[in-house]
Amino acid sequence: MATTAPRRARGETLHEGFLRHANFRWLKIATILCILAIASYLLIDVTPRHNGGSWYGYTMGTIGVGLILWLTLLGLRKRAMTRGRWSLKAWTSAHVYLGLSLIVIGTLHTGFQLGWNVHTLAYILMMLVILSGVFGITVYATLPTALSNNRAEMTQVQMLEAIRAIDRQLHDTAQPLPQTQAALVRQSLDDDPFGGSLLARLSGRYPRCATAKAQASLRHWTGDHPDTGKEPLEKIDALLERKQAMLARLRRHLKLKALLEIWLTVHVPATFALIAALTAHIVSVFFYW
Amino acid sequence: MTFTVRQISLTADGREIVRSVTLTKQQLSLGRASTNDIHLPDLALEPDHARIEQIDARTIRVRATGSLGFTHEGRTTRLTDIDATKGAELRFGGHRVTISQEDGDTILSIRRVDAVSQASEEKEEARVFSLARLAPPKRLTAWGLALAILIGFLAIPIYSHATRPASDTRNIYSVKGDGAWSSGPLSQAHHALEGKCETCHQKAFVSVRDSACQTCHKSVHDHAPAARIAMARAEPGLGGKLLASVAATFGKPPEGACVDCHREHEGAGPMQPTPQAFCTDCHGTLKDRLKDSKLASASDFGADHPQFSALVQYQPGKHPRFVRASLDAKPMDDSGLKFPHDIHLSKTGGVARMARTLQAQNGYGDALACKDCHRPTADGVRFLPVDMERDCQSCHSLAFETIGGTVRTLRHGQPEQVIADLRAYYRSTGPSQPIALGGMARRRPGDYAQGRVYHAYFGTAAARPSRADDAIRAVFSKGGACYDCHTVTGGDAGWQVTPVHQPMRYMMNGWFDHKAHRTEKCESCHAAPKSHDARQLLLPGLDSCRTCHGGEKSKADVPSGCAMCHSYHMDDGAPWTPADRTIRKDLLQRAPAKAGAQFKRQDWAPAFAGTRRTSRIDGDS
Repeated sequence: MATTAPRRARGETLHEGFLRHANFRWLKIATILCILAIASYLLIDVTPRHNGGSWYGYTMGTIGVGLILWLTLLGLRKRAMTRGRWSLKAWTSAHVYLGLSLIVIGTLHTGFQLGWNVHTLAYILMMLVILSGVFGITVYATLPTALSNNRAEMTQVQMLEAIRAIDRQLHDTAQPLPQTQAALVRQSLDDDPFGGSLLARLSGRYPRCATAKAQASLRHWTGDHPDTGKEPLEKIDALLERKQAMLARLRRHLKLKALLEIWLTVHVPATFALIAALTAHIVSVFFYW
Repeated sequence: MTFTVRQISLTADGREIVRSVTLTKQQLSLGRASTNDIHLPDLALEPDHARIEQIDARTIRVRATGSLGFTHEGRTTRLTDIDATKGAELRFGGHRVTISQEDGDTILSIRRVDAVSQASEEKEEARVFSLARLAPPKRLTAWGLALAILIGFLAIPIYSHATRPASDTRNIYSVKGDGAWSSGPLSQAHHALEGKCETCHQKAFVSVRDSACQTCHKSVHDHAPAARIAMARAEPGLGGKLLASVAATFGKPPEGACVDCHREHEGAGPMQPTPQAFCTDCHGTLKDRLKDSKLASASDFGADHPQFSALVQYQPGKHPRFVRASLDAKPMDDSGLKFPHDIHLSKTGGVARMARTLQAQNGYGDALACKDCHRPTADGVRFLPVDMERDCQSCHSLAFETIGGTVRTLRHGQPEQVIADLRAYYRSTGPSQPIALGGMARRRPGDYAQGRVYHAYFGTAAARPSRADDAIRAVFSKGGACYDCHTVTGGDAGWQVTPVHQPMRYMMNGWFDHKAHRTEKCESCHAAPKSHDARQLLLPGLDSCRTCHGGEKSKADVPSGCAMCHSYHMDDGAPWTPADRTIRKDLLQRAPAKAGAQFKRQDWAPAFAGTRRTSRIDGDS
């Protein structure tokens, strides 16, 4: 098949993410900003050496703090979705690329003088915010496809309903079982599919999965019996198998969602910490001027 | 006895369905197995879990049959008696059983309270599918961190600043609340002020003033009158004006503050050297603005620096006269002494032979070398004036008589005494034998060494020993001992020797440290071996220096800012230079090979750091 683009109605465009927005307009602007900053750093002869306290340093610092405050405003801006030139998408695109340019501007502001002090604390927090943001962009760019593939057109509620259905069948099937075996099935039923630590959620590994354990234990009984199709344990084994498959899908889904979410738990608090550290940094500089 | 068992379940829309069964039995069985009287499909129960027994009209006994118990009013138990008239609530696995009495019948109301499984419990989709429960809450972390930073890095430092006693005597290493504000360690010189921020930052929100520096540095000279400096400073460009106005708006002191050149918090170790830009701001184009200045403009040692000017004597004597002259004009420096360097440094000839003769006695080499006469000052910066008795007399003896093993010499520097001694000599005794004679002629090695009777007794004097006047005239005239080296005036009425003045410093506004150049040979800068006249000024010119030294930013072997030779504060000492580790390292690498041979008689400090510094911190006096 020839790969001809489908004809589009006038004014209609393919979906364009915030990274490609307006043909990378903000990437270009941020690149120019970085080049200007680096070139001026190299060309301007600050004596005795570059640092945050030279006029160049103050200039970079002022640009930096202005950018940081503006970048923080995305938190407010994102609550109002609009279109057009100043659309939220344009704003986000600028947020990403100008935020990245802050690596250059902030580092040049330091003049590469770092130490154990409030000034470097602000720098480290800024880098932490930026790096968590970079992580965020990366997962936003790569994970949604994986998320969509994993879902196999199920909704989240449907995934949960599927597990509930298996659980109900397990519960009914296990009724005639003696207490020891029933207890094993109950282990699986009592296990919270949304349980596990943050680490388990992010890695997708659940080494203490009760369903897997229950199945392994029950196979002590089923292992040496022929499959007659009449034993309730055989049915339970099949149900546990299905539940495990369903759980795996759910857990992959949770992992991808967690990765899409976790960076914000660093990005946002680190931003607040950064603004506090910046305040201390600026006040201290002028306090002991 | 009658039990009424009411099983209550909920429909999907929350309506209750009650199925009521009446059982006329003394005792009911309860369990998961369908054979029980009360069949509860609950995996938490054993197939045969418990018995419910009517003991009397009021008492009902509940007893677990298996190993699993049940819960009565929140307490787990295996056997309990219940007063049916008062009622009770039991719990078997996921089911709740309420016991009550109605018209003598015991009513057991049973409902399932737990979902079949964890997953079947009611879940809030947005919550369970997100990290809400697992990750630390964003808002709390954000405000917590921000608050902690504001307290730790803003409130505590300000508090510690506000509550610090006026005389802070704490150790510099003690914990200071505002320590985290320091942008970097102080330099070596100011290390003792570490943590005592108020020493320099005297007022909050006021930049460091010169007065803070002058608390300790009391006698630092001004470079020039302030008005003249203001006139000399180049007019800043548009950008410079903008910066100046911004700085003024924020209350920075005008240009020329101490901290403009002497930056702090730039790291431990020696302070950063002052960049030459601070000098060339004015001196680069000084002539354009200070028309009356005698100083030529200089913007870079390697590229734009006037030729050196030396302070030379043009008229020797008791009151010598000096003039400052550029080396380009090849000025003569007449110290009053006659001394041909070439003859004395020659590898062959009489002087060299004399040196070899005295080798063992005086430590000379195969020929005389500079060091045999020129001795450095204690600090090694300059050389002491040549001293007749110490540096010349080993060859140029002034002895004229031996009396009982004691050698009598003419008194150097005292012509009247020389005349008197000679008259006395002739008056008291006649020479028993002619003394070896002659001025510069016919010298025999060995005859002239110190202690030998030599040509102090000169010329025709020997032939006519009774005539003291002739001897005196001979000594002071051409061919005589004094005349050889000195300018002699006068005549028989009174002989005078022009006093010799040997300057130790020619360049009064520049600093040259011989010690820093000890890796070089004397001759590489001073063309002494070719000089036949003592009046020739042997100072090397700018080009000679430039073979190694270039401007501050140049690629020369030794990039040199103004401050290497010039002192901004115009005192007599060396200009301030930081102990530059690279220079020190370089010297240490080169010193053993070259400097060792050159200066073996000198005990140079091995860890010479390229600096010589007098303390500029003045006491209270």
